[in-house]
Amino acid sequence: MSLKKINGLEITPTHSINQVRYGCTLGAMYSAAAIPGAIPIAHCGPGCADKQFMALAFYNGFQGGGYGGGAVPPSVNAGEKEVVFGGNERLEELIKATLKIMRGDLYVVLTGCIGELVGDDVGSVVSPFQQRGVPICYAETGGFKGNNFTGHELVTRAIIDQFVKDYDGKKEETLVNVWSELPFQNTFWRGDLAEIKRILEGIGFKVNILFGFGSKGADEWKTIPKAKFNLVISPWLGLETAKHLSEKYSQPFLHYPVIPIGAKETSKFLRTVADFAGLKKETVEEFIRQEEKEYYYYLEHFSDFYAEYWWGLPARYGIVGDSAYVLAVSKFVVNQLGLIPASHIITDNPPEQYREGIEKEFRSLSHDVSEEVIFVEDGYWVKKILENTDFGHKPPIIFGTTWERDTVKKFGGQVVEIGFPASYEVVINRSYVGYRGAFALLEKIFTAAISASA
Amino acid sequence: MSKKIKQIAIYGKGGIGKSTTTSNISAALSTLGYKVMQFGCDPKSDSTNTLRNGQYIPTVLDTIRDKANVNAHDVVFKGFNGIYCVEAGGPAPGVGCAGRGITTAVQLFKQQHVFEELDLDFVIFDVLGDVVCGGFAVPIREGIAEHVFTVSSSDFMAVYAANNLFAGIKKYSNNGGALLGGVIANSINKPYAKDIIDDFVKQTKTQVVEYVPRSVTVTQSELQGKTTIEAAPDSAQAKIYLNLAKKIAAHESSKTPEPLSVGQLRDWAAQWADHLLALETGTIESSHSNI
Ligand SMILES: Nc1ncnc2c1ncn2[C@@H]1O[C@H](COP(=O)(O)OP(=O)(O)OP(=O)(O)O)[C@@H](O)[C@H]1O
Ligand SMILES: [Mg+2]
Repeated sequence: MSLKKINGLEITPTHSINQVRYGCTLGAMYSAAAIPGAIPIAHCGPGCADKQFMALAFYNGFQGGGYGGGAVPPSVNAGEKEVVFGGNERLEELIKATLKIMRGDLYVVLTGCIGELVGDDVGSVVSPFQQRGVPICYAETGGFKGNNFTGHELVTRAIIDQFVKDYDGKKEETLVNVWSELPFQNTFWRGDLAEIKRILEGIGFKVNILFGFGSKGADEWKTIPKAKFNLVISPWLGLETAKHLSEKYSQPFLHYPVIPIGAKETSKFLRTVADFAGLKKETVEEFIRQEEKEYYYYLEHFSDFYAEYWWGLPARYGIVGDSAYVLAVSKFVVNQLGLIPASHIITDNPPEQYREGIEKEFRSLSHDVSEEVIFVEDGYWVKKILENTDFGHKPPIIFGTTWERDTVKKFGGQVVEIGFPASYEVVINRSYVGYRGAFALLEKIFTAAISASA
Repeated sequence: MSKKIKQIAIYGKGGIGKSTTTSNISAALSTLGYKVMQFGCDPKSDSTNTLRNGQYIPTVLDTIRDKANVNAHDVVFKGFNGIYCVEAGGPAPGVGCAGRGITTAVQLFKQQHVFEELDLDFVIFDVLGDVVCGGFAVPIREGIAEHVFTVSSSDFMAVYAANNLFAGIKKYSNNGGALLGGVIANSINKPYAKDIIDDFVKQTKTQVVEYVPRSVTVTQSELQGKTTIEAAPDSAQAKIYLNLAKKIAAHESSKTPEPLSVGQLRDWAAQWADHLLALETGTIESSHSNI
């Protein structure tokens, strides 16, 4: 653990987690459910699946379960009998019953702790179905393996290896696979992925967005091997998948750690990707020109408010959340709004090997802003760090989660909920990224700031 | 692509001679010029002792316990003739879950592609006694070992254990799991012992790969912390192990065995008991009495 000293606090391991900020490995059921037409099948005990639903898809923007999530997923509901005698037979029965009554284009079996501890050979149950041509795969997502980020890459890999399978045909010149936010964990993933797809299509790509409304589901996943390259837009999530794909289908990948927010970042992002893929410059620049024209039209009007209302606006910010949004939002508010950073707290527990890269991003947040970031998962430390941060004489803005509400109340700042759990937000398809999402974020930030005195 | 690695699992009743036989096979294969890894799947973690002068090595699970990210190469130790030795290890007796431990240890190696990186010809898993839970079946699941060999003596309890294992193999057989290479008949000295094992493999549609007699050379070698191959390379016993290793190296296709049902097994054993009693009381003569 790269724990350390921050704001005079010595961060020591607490060996406990207060106020959870992610799901368990099995939470990746929601990665499966995020693929249109896919149905997760849970090989776990009673309660596990429901907990993931309530945490990730309910009290987190009230996103809802949709076709394959929520109350839908069939579960083995393993009990004493399955622990003692093994759960293979029960799972087989469940799969058969599922196929009878639920129409899915892709079924994903996810194992919970019980099956994996007693050594159920889920592969041997699933493979006969696969051999019969049923679109089904399985991922070993016992909760002890890590969080839902870990689970997400396990599920992704399972679908690729067992359902998409080998391919050595032609590549499609402009087709790209996008690996970015973690569905459902990121409260705004639906709107964000839609915006990312829109802008990439705008400059001439065909986009496999793979999750959410813009995805064509199982059929789209089948075309993954045809893509010319993989685009990872996140500080670390998706890199394992991209590495696997580069071996499996000889696809190169571009790692772009910063999910772009606002015209400056988004245009830079588009140019980088276009350059990597060798897209036609004219089309790219034309799209950027159009988008920026629209963007600055609105921003010009907003600038009256921003210039005149200075006395009532926050100057400093603190931010708590998943590395993807902590980095993306920080870049935006520092570079575009001139907010002053006070503390950056990352809680998605990125694998050790990616932490240095993330730290580096924060050291060059802007050409003249170098910041430190801290990795903690326990709400106890999040609270302590925020309480020990010097936010200056004005109430700060805190980008965080519902958990930060009580802490922030004490020192009188405003909370903008940007991540799990966002229980005081109702989110349908709002986006905070790209050209268009930036405005939603601005609206949210400043509505929160000025309504404090309402 | 790299060459095909032959992955073998050795099962059998507790104390029947799995580790002794496995270590001698590994040692013999290495003297034949193959690159071998012996992977002990037993919380006792003594599988590879005779390959390393009687010395224990740190186990995979002990290492995982202390460190979050383990490089699998850190738990590979070289033994006799460059054999790679690994011990999965496990929790202390009476606590935790040894089966899960085996799963974890084997997966660590698979995930880090260690077998391929070391450019091995053989990986031999020496698995604890009976297949008591799902974890101990991991080495025979899809994608790990392809061939299983069972060590058995002619004792009924050993035969029972072998029969149980056959049932496990059959269960996974149509889903890409490992198949049975055959029985390594251990401690076969008495003529009737050979008859019993021969009859058992006939009933269960498999074969005996080699008859290994009980020999004091094995004991002497073990006391020096060595395999027979290392300590007494010119002994008759070493020749037998060498022969066994050659057969395993040449072995290509394994099969699904036909385990006996509990009732069948009981009847079969009862018949042999009567026969042995008759032999002892002199009512009949052994067919091998003139050998
Ligand atoms: N052919 C043989 N001749 C003489 N002694 C033997 C022979 N085979 C095994 N032994 C002895 O029997 C004892 C048990 O053998 P070993 O440890 O190999 O059994 P195992 O099946 O691995 O046991 P466990 O199930 O406890 O791991 C050892 O002392 C070994 O030397
Ligand atoms: Mg042993």
